[in-house]
Amino acid sequence: MKKYWKSTAIIAVIVLSLGTFFVNAATSAEQYPEFVIQKQSGDASEIKPLVLDGSYADTSSASYVSTNLKISTNGSKYNSRSLIDQIIGQPPTLIKDLQEQYRSFMRGKNAWADVFFEDESFLAYADVDYKRGSLKASDFTFSISVLNKKDGNTNTFTVEVPDSGVLSHIFVEDVQVVGDELHLITQNMMPNYEEYHDEKHVYTIDLADQHITHHESIIQFPKEEGEKDLYINAELIETDPTKANERLVFLTTKEIESDHPESSDFEVMNKEIITYNLATKESEVIDVPDLDLMENQLSFYDGSNIYFTRAEGQEFIVTPFDLENEKNGQLLRIPMSNDENGNVLTPMITVNDDKLYAVDSYMNASTNAAITVSDLKSGDPLFEGEIVLKDSLELDSFDLYVHEIFLR
Amino acid sequence: MKNYIKLANFEINRVSKLFTVLLGITLIVQIVGVIVEARKYLNMANEKMYEEMMSIAEFLEMFNQMSFIQVVRSVWFLGPIALCIAGVAFYIFLIWYRDWFGRNTFVYRLLMLPTSRLTIFFAKITTIMVMTLGFVAFQLILLPIELLIFKGMVPSDFRNDMGVREVVSSMPEISIIIPGSLLELILYYGAGLLAVSILFTGILFERSFKWKGIFAAVLYGAVAVVLFISPLLLQEFVVDHFFYPLELFLLEIVMGLIIFAGSIWTSGFLLKKKITV
Repeated sequence: MKKYWKSTAIIAVIVLSLGTFFVNAATSAEQYPEFVIQKQSGDASEIKPLVLDGSYADTSSASYVSTNLKISTNGSKYNSRSLIDQIIGQPPTLIKDLQEQYRSFMRGKNAWADVFFEDESFLAYADVDYKRGSLKASDFTFSISVLNKKDGNTNTFTVEVPDSGVLSHIFVEDVQVVGDELHLITQNMMPNYEEYHDEKHVYTIDLADQHITHHESIIQFPKEEGEKDLYINAELIETDPTKANERLVFLTTKEIESDHPESSDFEVMNKEIITYNLATKESEVIDVPDLDLMENQLSFYDGSNIYFTRAEGQEFIVTPFDLENEKNGQLLRIPMSNDENGNVLTPMITVNDDKLYAVDSYMNASTNAAITVSDLKSGDPLFEGEIVLKDSLELDSFDLYVHEIFLR
Repeated sequence: MKNYIKLANFEINRVSKLFTVLLGITLIVQIVGVIVEARKYLNMANEKMYEEMMSIAEFLEMFNQMSFIQVVRSVWFLGPIALCIAGVAFYIFLIWYRDWFGRNTFVYRLLMLPTSRLTIFFAKITTIMVMTLGFVAFQLILLPIELLIFKGMVPSDFRNDMGVREVVSSMPEISIIIPGSLLELILYYGAGLLAVSILFTGILFERSFKWKGIFAAVLYGAVAVVLFISPLLLQEFVVDHFFYPLELFLLEIVMGLIIFAGSIWTSGFLLKKKITV
């Protein structure tokens, strides 16, 4: 036995030393505080479908590391940073749910919500494939997959993007399935001398024929000649990917570079709302009466109403605008809270089933984030509450940001 | 099994001198490093406060507290680690060639042992593994001692205390050597074991066919690398991201195990049939 003492000693030291370290590491894993949604008044069942995606950071330690978490009525759930979780990745809640439910359909598909569409009968995906060249991308094709939920069949095909040669790039911004037609809304970038010139396009694809039946450029926004400092931008207002919308809403913004040579600020000159009807293929500039677009933010679009928001004193005012009848709806007033410096916290909103959900996007040790659910028809609050630390735990300093409101 | 233990013990005893010397260098240089770095900071603090009449608060605002990270980033700390890595890398080759080029061609006796010749391969790869993990274990024992010395030298107002885990995770290079979880340790050192097995096979190719063997060894290494990354290539260029990340990860592990088995089999074949003395 004597001649084995060296090996035995080395192996014993390895086992003890590594063992102690990893047992320690496993037991003293970082503890995160738990958050819960506390009811102040109203019906707690109103927030059952609510899932808040956010991030938490302990600001008392020198290293600012934030960790993603989800807060719902069941409390908070942190994304673990273990190796396996890093490998799996952290797709958005919608994509994660789809991957669990339609595992084979979701294979090889990009993990962002914009390129998916889901309703009771279909799950559709459309994205752009292209060849990466040394100078530019080329040969753009749409790759489309539609899963029929009833019979489980998948219709997969590719369609060449028309006029692919003039494009420098193309992004899919939204997918809508209406009846037998799939509508793709894209941002097309075209090189125009040295400047890029962008356009919003719609492509209508017949799912049975697998052909493009209609193609149209909805909005063009070049930098105008002679007005060198003018910038035009158009954005598609995103909607819930689980609902079909016949009408698309775009917001165009004209900005001018300010004259001050030192600052590179942009001054907003003009905002305009443009709608496009996928059924009639008509676009229209929407004039919202009695509403200043510069003061009111276009915060949400649910397919029939646009919701404008503005802060006024201690109130957050939501103005719904009915696109069908072109008239303003019932004004909604939500009281806002102040943070410790006296700044008001403006909430984020989302709308579902005639209910408006408003959630403050930030909280810290001294201010809690408020959550309200209001009835859009009557304007009455259905639920009022806030995100709080569980068991009224006291923490010195932390940041909690809410990035997204998701309704299950 | 008994032969394997005997042979592995024999190989570990043979490397123990080199191992002890490297441990000694690490111990001395790292502890001297802690002292030197702490003194450097304290001398600077003294100079600023007494010669330039800075208050403690002003000094801390300008230069911050000293944390152990400053020691870790110094050559005093990283130098010995690099030396140990180099030592292991060097010994991966020496463990075979010393048997051929030492006094009275020792390999002759090794190959004549009444046991499977693959046992020699296993004993040698075990030795490399034990040596490597021995260094890691030693560093983990040394770190708390160094932290204690650091605490003793720098007054608490001037230092930012850290635990062993914080030190280890503060630098990506160190957290590869000492990962934060057991799974990562197994993966990283498993990959290391795979690489050593490929190198051993390459060495045996050279020992079997001499100059032509070098060519075969390089070829074998290239094939092993391409095979190992083949699931990634497949995912990227052939099946268009068909696999979910976790599936790809499991495929990689399976591929690693296959290549490891392939290396063992090839080495066994070379040792039995082709090796020359």
